[in-house]
Amino acid sequence: MKISRGEKTFGVFNTLLLAILALSTLYPFIYMTALSLNEGLDSLKGGIYFCARAFTWINIKTVVTNPLVQDAFFISIGRTVVGTIGTVFITGICAYALSFRKLPYRKLIMIYFLIPMLFSGGLIPYYIQLRNLGLIDSFFVYIFPGLLNIWNLIVMRSFFENIPDSLIEAAEIDGANPLTIFWRIVIPISMPMIAAISLFTAVAHWNSWFDGAYFVNDMSLKPLQTYLQNILMNADAAQNLRQGSASVSASSNAAVAAASRTITPMALKMAVVILGTLPVLIIYPLLQRYFVKGVLIGGVKE
Amino acid sequence: MNLETAKDTPITLTKPLSKTELKFRGIWKYRWQFAMILPGFVLVFLFNYMPMAGIQVAFKDYNIFEGIWTSKWIGFENFYFLKDSEFWRVFSNTIWITVLKFAFGFPAPIILALLLNEIKNKTFKKWVQTLTYMPHFVSWIVVAYIVEALLSQSSGLVNELLTSMGMKRIYFMGSEEWFRPIIIISSVWKEVGFSAIIYLAAIAGLNPQLYEAAIVDGANKWKQTLHVTIPGIMPTIAIMLILTIPNLLNAGFDQIYPLQNPVNLPVSEVIDTYVVKTGLNQGYYGPATAIGLITSIVQFMLVVGANQLSKKYGDTRLF
Repeated sequence: MKISRGEKTFGVFNTLLLAILALSTLYPFIYMTALSLNEGLDSLKGGIYFCARAFTWINIKTVVTNPLVQDAFFISIGRTVVGTIGTVFITGICAYALSFRKLPYRKLIMIYFLIPMLFSGGLIPYYIQLRNLGLIDSFFVYIFPGLLNIWNLIVMRSFFENIPDSLIEAAEIDGANPLTIFWRIVIPISMPMIAAISLFTAVAHWNSWFDGAYFVNDMSLKPLQTYLQNILMNADAAQNLRQGSASVSASSNAAVAAASRTITPMALKMAVVILGTLPVLIIYPLLQRYFVKGVLIGGVKE
Repeated sequence: MNLETAKDTPITLTKPLSKTELKFRGIWKYRWQFAMILPGFVLVFLFNYMPMAGIQVAFKDYNIFEGIWTSKWIGFENFYFLKDSEFWRVFSNTIWITVLKFAFGFPAPIILALLLNEIKNKTFKKWVQTLTYMPHFVSWIVVAYIVEALLSQSSGLVNELLTSMGMKRIYFMGSEEWFRPIIIISSVWKEVGFSAIIYLAAIAGLNPQLYEAAIVDGANKWKQTLHVTIPGIMPTIAIMLILTIPNLLNAGFDQIYPLQNPVNLPVSEVIDTYVVKTGLNQGYYGPATAIGLITSIVQFMLVVGANQLSKKYGDTRLF
């Protein structure tokens, strides 16, 4: 087919536009990385765009050796691992049981699970309930409330419903109970869906900061994103992060001490942001093919 | 309910089973399934239904030491905010932000998907996609840092560009008029690539014969887009539209709160942030619950309305 001149111009223009768009999404991450790897005082002069001018590891090092940042990092890892496994398991078994079409009272139970999607008590009654359950100021406030994800319940149930009945019946005849069937047959064939749901759950856990900010007061229990929010919105917290670096300089040699004097709150903030973003950015390209499927399962319902 | 299964089981019957016995046998047959549902059932009761019961705080003089049930009823006293101009300003801020976000955020992924669809080079297309949905996976806190780093008055990239072009520095975060553009641009930036996935899938699912027929009829690329692609993804657009309706009061706490400061507060305070501040920060549980209740009711009506719409036009139901 002949390509008209108009279409050719459009093609070039379109490619250019999308390239700019892609770069504009990538660029802020490059910018932050450059700032976190540049000497803080030097950055204040401006002119850092793509690469660090006065390259240094000191910002990253200061942040990584800060005990509060370390605590926050491990809390984040902990809640992500425990929370994801727990949520996917609890939601998964519930969705599987509800996928049996002949289950007595199935409709009624589904309505019970759907009502909270339509109406909620709101934040304050929720907070009061968490307090009554003794979850305030506890690590489990990150885990328990999210163990059953209603949206994922629906997605998983419709996936399980599409597994051929004959497969389950064959196992039943062999004398397997539903838990064994779930574990040995259903999970292995549902792996792509489970991977997608797990990825979304894990990212949500890693990025969550609200629960850490309002349901937990103990600094050592705050996850990394809450800690980030804290230093973003609270000048004192940023100052504390910098003071942490002063103690580093006191304990190490003179050269490090000299370098640490160039540390600015901004450079440290950028270093923490990199620490808070890197794990997700590393994992997501690896699991991309799963979550594209996951979005489609969740988004386009037949 | 499970008459057949009960009949099939070879048990010697002395007398016919009563209805309740049959029902019980049906339930017993599914005992594993019920056991699997139980944990989820309890969790939803604890974290969803109990807070619904807690709504009574909106009509009570809630006292932490007395608890929800024994605190005194005070009628509609907690709803005094409805006569408060401060509340109505917060309400209008919320509507402004949600409407603007919708006006720019809804078409953006459709346009992106249409443009991506025209790219013939597979590798380039994949790279653009991968990069544009990357921001979806970082937190709003990180986005706030990005905004701060790029727009900072002293060393931000944008202000450096402005001065290099001979323009004045702008104190973006400390101005009322820049707050809404910042919110809109950052939310489009974060979500456009990810939302485009669904539209791209819809485009990929279109029948290629339609395009062939259009080409035979002499349609160029633009005409094909207009008459084949867009009508083809219309059902998907309709579903996505309906799905956004229930969120019309949800301006996005996660995004807005980290970007707030005393200067932009007159435009940046929205219902969500207002409830957190009056309730959790200042401890006015009653009024904050009352505001939450009104929001929940409006949200409920929006969901039901959206569902009616989708039944009528979309052939699909949300629930």
